Amino acid sequence: MTSALWLASEPALLPSRIQMAFTLASHVLLVPLGVALPSLTLLMEGIGLASKDPVALKIARRWSVVMAVQFAVGAVTGTILSFEFGILWPRMLGQFGGAFGLGFAIEAWAFFLEAIFIGIYLYGWERLRPRTHLLFGLVLPPAGLLGAFGVLASNSWMNTPAGTTLKAGKVVDVDVMAALFTRALGYEFWHFLIAIYMTAGFVVASVYAVAWLRGRRDHYQRLAFAVPFTVAAVLAPIQLVVGDLSARALVADQPSKFAAMEITWTTRDHNPEVIGGLIDANGDIHFGISVPSLDSLLVGYSPNAVVPGLTSVAANARPTIVEANITHLAFDLMVGLGSVGAALAVWHLWVLWRRRRPPESIWFYRLAALAGIGAYIAVETGWITTEVGRQPWIVFGVMRVADAVTTAPASFVWTMLTALVVIYALIAYFFVTLLLRLSARWRREDLNQPSEPEVGAPYGPRPRTFTA
Amino acid sequence: MPDLIAFTLLLAITAYSTAGGVDFGAGIWDLLAGGSRRGREARALIDHSMAPVWEVNNVWLVLAIVLCWTGFPLLFQTVFARLYPLFALALVGLILRGAFFAFRHIAEDPRAHRIADLVFGLSSLLTPFFFAASLGAIASGRLESFSLMSIAFGLVSLAATAFSGASFLVGDARRYGAIELVGYFRRRAVIAALALIAVGSAALITIGFEAPDLFRPMLAGKGLPFALVTMVLTPVVGFLLWRGVLRWYRVLTVAAVGSMVFAWAFAQSPYLVPGQLTIAQAVAPFSTQVLLLVVAAVVLLVIGPAMGVLYYLDQRSALESPET
Repeated sequence: MTSALWLASEPALLPSRIQMAFTLASHVLLVPLGVALPSLTLLMEGIGLASKDPVALKIARRWSVVMAVQFAVGAVTGTILSFEFGILWPRMLGQFGGAFGLGFAIEAWAFFLEAIFIGIYLYGWERLRPRTHLLFGLVLPPAGLLGAFGVLASNSWMNTPAGTTLKAGKVVDVDVMAALFTRALGYEFWHFLIAIYMTAGFVVASVYAVAWLRGRRDHYQRLAFAVPFTVAAVLAPIQLVVGDLSARALVADQPSKFAAMEITWTTRDHNPEVIGGLIDANGDIHFGISVPSLDSLLVGYSPNAVVPGLTSVAANARPTIVEANITHLAFDLMVGLGSVGAALAVWHLWVLWRRRRPPESIWFYRLAALAGIGAYIAVETGWITTEVGRQPWIVFGVMRVADAVTTAPASFVWTMLTALVVIYALIAYFFVTLLLRLSARWRREDLNQPSEPEVGAPYGPRPRTFTA
Repeated sequence: MPDLIAFTLLLAITAYSTAGGVDFGAGIWDLLAGGSRRGREARALIDHSMAPVWEVNNVWLVLAIVLCWTGFPLLFQTVFARLYPLFALALVGLILRGAFFAFRHIAEDPRAHRIADLVFGLSSLLTPFFFAASLGAIASGRLESFSLMSIAFGLVSLAATAFSGASFLVGDARRYGAIELVGYFRRRAVIAALALIAVGSAALITIGFEAPDLFRPMLAGKGLPFALVTMVLTPVVGFLLWRGVLRWYRVLTVAAVGSMVFAWAFAQSPYLVPGQLTIAQAVAPFSTQVLLLVVAAVVLLVIGPAMGVLYYLDQRSALESPET
């Protein structure tokens, strides 16, 4: 009902939301490898230098090629996002840019540092001395961290806005520290950071899990699998704890989001945990498994703990039924995938500890091959949970999405959206083709004589004299 | 202090116009290099010289936009609420360009390669034109996406990027010892300089008619020194390249193009949008300004040297293999 009314008053709202969702959903897929792959690559390069292992260096160099392409595409989709704030949500930036924008100002440093040192790192293979090369590369992980901090500071500000003094609807004063370090940053930052490192580890390892399943079981495959998978495996159990802390912090910070995640209708104690399932407009739950009192137990360690319900917030200030269901299913999927990932991690670490080698079960590798996709889905659903769960607010409790949207005609936004979908599809096609082609060529090379891994790749050391 | 923030924003815009402009200009010459066979040599040089630095140059744009929305939220809102079509078109160019610069390397069959070249080249026209058009729309004070002013600014930026692109490609061709291409791009730089003088004069006349309030300070006020520098240096660089005096021409190219941006900005100060919005009206609260200056200082002190290292290594050819 309410959303139908908004559509009438703000014609561009629907396409703007779709466009933002689409471009963010695309960009978030590039973030894990963009931020965390440099660390894995440097780790591998460090191993290679420390143990004088040419295979490790070869792996690191190949990963750096993927890292470069990934960074280039991510830089473009990221730039699009910053412009979309102006094109789609000018009123939010106009009012709160001085507070919301701070994180992005810091992210700009990180972006600079990454762009510069990725250039040096990529083009410097075998051109710089090995130690110098590694040293230049070591700037990348902290730069990625700084960038993630900036973006998450801005996103956290949208969830738990703070540090602004309003007078007649205008921001007259900003407490910089309070606006940067909002309550949500504490959990959002660590949850996301661990998530992207985990994802990068699982995704990279999954490539070599597939190689194992196809019969490649040499030093190269084992090393390229074990290093990233171990990184992910160490983080996965930690993520369960951090994720749990994040969810429980929402009870106080964003009760309507928490209620949507758990599809709780009325505030109550002895609240059951509904796994799967949907809620309807009357607050009745359909399908799904309901575990009595579990939600109360998880939130307050007691069945008597009171859990907020959707109806504790006015109907026009909480997610709609459709949004609540999307939030809930996304949340459940994320938690489920995270738990499977943690189980797989424990399996790996157990065998590693007991037998000093990775597991050799075919089922382990089948699951590890799927873990890459699973990790991407978990990142995607986690993002959906926090964004859709915040609705109808763009700045939680302060500004509605409908009040921030552009006054541009809907036809304009639909056209731009269509163009972006077509362009992104093209980019995705080329991107995947490139990766497949590189991987096929590297495989061929491993069977024949080696050459430089960047041949055929758009980035990498160049010959001193260019050839046409 | 608000003026200092505005100046920082201007520096970011200028850095993008000059550094990014060189890359866009290279893209324009890529488009004009002719068929696959005829343009092969030129394209290879363009690829080679753009490869390590273009992403860094692109960051200036992000810095500018972030400074704009954080430092001058009201300007950001006003400008985007009115000029969204221009930004959307510039963006489309930006994505296509970034993506196809990478993808044309992997297009194996000649036709796909040709299409990728074409998309890359055409999108190199779109982005500078429409970004500059938005500055033109702002300068007119009327914020109309499609007006004489926005078109005039757009055309000037095409000529300016083509000019700086060719000028820097001369340098790269020399560095790689590609004698033929030195002459090739010298001729093109001279043509572009002439085009820039012609289009620039036409734009000045347009400003005179369309935005007299901007015209006066540009030729008789704060904008004058910068306007003069542009008017003197552009022919000078053209002359140097024509006579084959290959010294100083790159620095002077940057100075010429940068002064053009400065001439516009100083002429319309203290207005961000002439007649509508001043720096003082649009600026963010005090503490945000302080943080932005800290950010700017860090960019200057940390990023500056880091960027220096990249350019240094690049120019010393340390990022290239010792042997082919």
